[in-house]
Amino acid sequence: MSGTIKNNFFIAILGILFIFIGHSQSNAQGDVIIDSPIPVLISESESTRALSNPPLRTSRAGRGTFTPRGYQPGQDVTVFVSNLSLMNGEGSNSVRVYGEDSRGRVYRFPVVDFGPVPDMEHIQAVTVRLSDEIGYFPAPIPDGDMLISLSWRGNSSNKVRLAFGRSGGKISDEPGAIPTPLSKAKAISVQVEDAFSYTSPRVADDITRFLQQASFGPSSASYEQVRRLGPGGWLSAQFKRSYSAYEATFPEFVLKPLDSAVGCPTGGDANCVRDHYSMYNLQNWFFRQAVYGDDQLRHRVAWALHQIWVTSGIENYQVSWMVATHKILTKHAFGNWRNLMYDMTLNPGMGNYLDMMRSTRTNPNENYPREILQLFNVGLFLLNQDGTVQRDGAGNPIDTYSQEDVNNFTKVMTGWTRCEVTGCLNRTTGAPNYKDPMILTTGNHDLTAKTLLDYPGAVGKNIAACAGCTGTAITNYANNSLNQALDNIYYHPNTAPFVSRLLIQQLVTSDPSPAYVERVANVFTANKTNPTQMREVIKAILLDPEARGNKKTDPRYGKLREPVLLVTNLMRQFDAKSNDLLAESDGVVNSWTNGIGQDVFRPVTVFNYYPMDYMVPGTTLPGPEFGIFTTGTAIGRLNNINTMAFGSLSVAATRPNGTRLDYRGLQTTAKEDPTSNKLMDNLNSKMMHGRMSPEMREQIRTAVNAVTGTTDTIYMTRAQTAVYLIATSSQWQIQR
Amino acid sequence: MDRRDFLIKSGCALSMTALATQMRHFGLMSVAAQKNAARLDAPAAFSDYRALVCIFLSGGNDSNNMIIPRHNSTSVSNYSAYSAARGSQALALTQSELLPISVPRMGGLEYGFHPVFGPTATGAVNNGIYELWAQNKLAAVTNVGTLVAPMTRTQFLNNSVKRPYQLYSHPDQITQAQGGRSDTQPFTGWAGRISDLMSAGANPNGLIPMITSISGAQLFTAGQTTLPLAIANAGTALSAVLNPSGFNTSASSVARRAALNTIRGLDLDSEVIRAASFVTDQAMTANNALQTSQEVTVTFPTTSIGNQLKQVARLIKKRGDLSVTRQIFYVQLGGFDTHTGQVNGHINLYSQLSQAMRSFYDEMVVQGMSDSVTQFTLSDFNRTFNPAGSGSGTVGTDHAWGGHCLVLGGAVSVADFYGNNSSNGTPFPTLAFGTADDADNGSTARGRWIPTTSNEQYAANLARWFGVSDSEMASVFPRINNFGAGSLGFLQGA
Repeated sequence: MSGTIKNNFFIAILGILFIFIGHSQSNAQGDVIIDSPIPVLISESESTRALSNPPLRTSRAGRGTFTPRGYQPGQDVTVFVSNLSLMNGEGSNSVRVYGEDSRGRVYRFPVVDFGPVPDMEHIQAVTVRLSDEIGYFPAPIPDGDMLISLSWRGNSSNKVRLAFGRSGGKISDEPGAIPTPLSKAKAISVQVEDAFSYTSPRVADDITRFLQQASFGPSSASYEQVRRLGPGGWLSAQFKRSYSAYEATFPEFVLKPLDSAVGCPTGGDANCVRDHYSMYNLQNWFFRQAVYGDDQLRHRVAWALHQIWVTSGIENYQVSWMVATHKILTKHAFGNWRNLMYDMTLNPGMGNYLDMMRSTRTNPNENYPREILQLFNVGLFLLNQDGTVQRDGAGNPIDTYSQEDVNNFTKVMTGWTRCEVTGCLNRTTGAPNYKDPMILTTGNHDLTAKTLLDYPGAVGKNIAACAGCTGTAITNYANNSLNQALDNIYYHPNTAPFVSRLLIQQLVTSDPSPAYVERVANVFTANKTNPTQMREVIKAILLDPEARGNKKTDPRYGKLREPVLLVTNLMRQFDAKSNDLLAESDGVVNSWTNGIGQDVFRPVTVFNYYPMDYMVPGTTLPGPEFGIFTTGTAIGRLNNINTMAFGSLSVAATRPNGTRLDYRGLQTTAKEDPTSNKLMDNLNSKMMHGRMSPEMREQIRTAVNAVTGTTDTIYMTRAQTAVYLIATSSQWQIQR
Repeated sequence: MDRRDFLIKSGCALSMTALATQMRHFGLMSVAAQKNAARLDAPAAFSDYRALVCIFLSGGNDSNNMIIPRHNSTSVSNYSAYSAARGSQALALTQSELLPISVPRMGGLEYGFHPVFGPTATGAVNNGIYELWAQNKLAAVTNVGTLVAPMTRTQFLNNSVKRPYQLYSHPDQITQAQGGRSDTQPFTGWAGRISDLMSAGANPNGLIPMITSISGAQLFTAGQTTLPLAIANAGTALSAVLNPSGFNTSASSVARRAALNTIRGLDLDSEVIRAASFVTDQAMTANNALQTSQEVTVTFPTTSIGNQLKQVARLIKKRGDLSVTRQIFYVQLGGFDTHTGQVNGHINLYSQLSQAMRSFYDEMVVQGMSDSVTQFTLSDFNRTFNPAGSGSGTVGTDHAWGGHCLVLGGAVSVADFYGNNSSNGTPFPTLAFGTADDADNGSTARGRWIPTTSNEQYAANLARWFGVSDSEMASVFPRINNFGAGSLGFLQGA
């Protein structure tokens, strides 16, 4: 918007309001804070009606009658927001504007312009087009006021009225809504700490939030680490940890024959099948590392990568195969995405799972080539750098690639097979080699020319034929072609926003703002040749102001805890131990996640345990984890939490130690204060980073105090009751 | 008795009114609220009972190996056309092992089912569904797939008719098959939209939702104002599928349960919290209705799909208690993404499918409901007619497009092929590469049939039998008028 137009707006507004703008107050301390301020949409001085432009003529009619005037569908309307503290470059895609109608339907209006009002730098003019950009509901009906709200960095503004079609109508203000006139808007002098130099949170609640995102849940030890180092310092410390020490913790098993009856003959080791031909040992390792391991960040990021580069122990049924695959993900978790692409492409586990190891010149298989595009790197539709979908003139999304492209990538990826020749490090007689990278069978590689993805500045688009090639020439050609194809994908403009958004969804929130995606994607892009690119990406995700802060008020912010995170958060917060509380848990807790949608390392399809593009039914919200949240699993969660709160997993043949959560500390807290206020304070801070509503707290305290008596057993039951009621609540199961 | 007392004393599901109020802001209505929302113009209750059972063959069923030409006639593609394309890579079934059926629409020519649709299935507990063809209880709708509008091969190749978005991609084609439109991404499923339309009239007491999935959350089942029940298969008793454990009649336990119920109605200003609480609340409500369950009579196979259909049969047996007159069920059999290992894969999968469908049909006969309950299959897509890989242990197929669906029940008209004719003048595609009905072109064409009947036409025909009127059809299938609303004729009276 030009300055002239903006000045005109300003004049227009002053013309309507006749108000005097005083000097803004400034905060003398200039505090560095971590909480982004809550945006305030400006209303008229005496009502909650939005200050908006172009102006609408107000009705001169008496009470109860309305002027028919209002904004029309598709019209551009400017509203004004104060109390933002913008970073350099934070523009129109950092705010989202929602309108709710009297039918309870929520629409999102595209922001077409955003910028400060001249001479009033603390006020931003936000121009939105009154057309829904989500498309879940039919187009909004212009029959009365809508309530408009704005979200920014995970916080939501007040709601103001906007006349849509006409003013009036049935919608009521939010309870407690008050006018927020321009005269009350003040400049902000507190500076939100620059995300990328973020080291020192002042308040405890954000530490808990941070550890929910960056690890498998806060423990008292990790909480203390972050309190001491700050999130930035903690991340640096995690990056410095040795990979080889972590790698040494993996369960190591030899490669076995395909047939378990051959690999585990009768009369041999009674646990042979369980130990080699199931995910038992990998699952237990996974949970023990999640609960007790110090490499929390690497473990968490690798778990996120496993849910993007999906392979499954259902098809890759030997534990040694899945270990080899997961090592690649853990190794590159702090490395470079392009290296990850290469190692995963030649991983025989992936080669088996998506059939690349069987794809030949004469019998090509499209499975892996399609998914490396669709699921792992670029996605179906062309994206902007902020992850929003590009559209053609008719408003349709534009395909990223065609079937012809898939055919060409398929040709590039023919001829690779397991390493079963002399010189293969882990080659084992009688057992397929699922440890070493795949190698080329020259006779099976396609030698014709290929044309790959085209995009501005396309890298490696054309691969010439290798006419008359033989022997080593083919091997070199195939390897070069593969690298060229991977570069072609990696340097496609979609990869940075596509991968960035998936990682944000895994770690922080299901519906990140485009600005957040763009900040992360910019870091991904800028570090494409950096061998530790992923460190920068992880920092950008976890230190972003949309991730950080003591609380987030946007009603759409957050993500449903997947079963693994539900279980590990409780185990870490309540010091999970062996069943007798004398040793550590054995990690045999997959039964707590399996029945509710996550049989760890055994996803049912390549689309992960839950689809990453899942929309919460009945809403306009992206919510991947809701894909495995149904009436059945909702009750399953209740029942598993019941065991975690009140019971344990006893010692059994497959559970050498068993598992019990240790509530003795909480028991003491409960005993110290028979009103249970102290218990509630403790758990509110520990589990809900202080955001438990007074009503919820009172409900729980009442139920806790209904456990009557003064014995130690009673106090234990009180503590367990409180944990049960918090952990079963949606308020806790949504990580916010 | 105030509200809190009520909650504590009833010890059961929440404050539906409070939640319903919140849910209205959300576009969703709880089942109880749906009842309250029944208006004067709501559809009338039905005097009879009908149910649709969707069997989703997940991964993309290679129906080219499910129903195969067995004849040698040269008038249309015959067995040789099939074996020529699939024989050398060891994917072709032999002519003699195909279970013969006579197809009126094909001039009485002989086609054949994969042999495990008969009694020789792996793990057989019955004769399979093959013999129901001769009894006119089984039919096939051929070459069905996603379409925006009818489309010839020429129109496909020159892009003169809009194509379904993202052909050959699993999630997108599943979304279109379940969502009932292919022009743009649907947010609701076609069964969910039927439920939105009919719940008020057909499910007046709202004890459980109109739709039940035995296979998790599925777009098919999601409406805009109604959501499905999703429960475990028959491995768990109905009375236990949604029952929260750990409660007894002690005062402290009653208090804890009351708090559990009340907390679910708090803090609903967050849309994410509200979405989760809604699901839990629906589970707690349905749990009350499922406490008395009835066992089925017929033996079901103990496979996943067998147990899923068995659970459906239990619910249908309870239909009187639930006072619901129209129900839709969703079950799923996975593993059809047979890029490799298809020969043994199909023996296993088709055995499970045929056995489970037959047990379910027989149970409906015992319950006297076989004319009122219709099973039908859907899948992501068909697979390439040209095999991927080679050798009987390895050979598979890649992603393709139009394929055949099965419909089973007493309401089936006559055992036959149904659907629109292709360029060859019959509803069965021409089995040839790079010509006729193939979307692929050139020397590397692999045989991806352009559908001649749209997924919506097929679904709309099922919906019409279920009770959706012609005037309501476009609200369920927004693009149905691109195809004409005519009946395909595979169900009696619809």
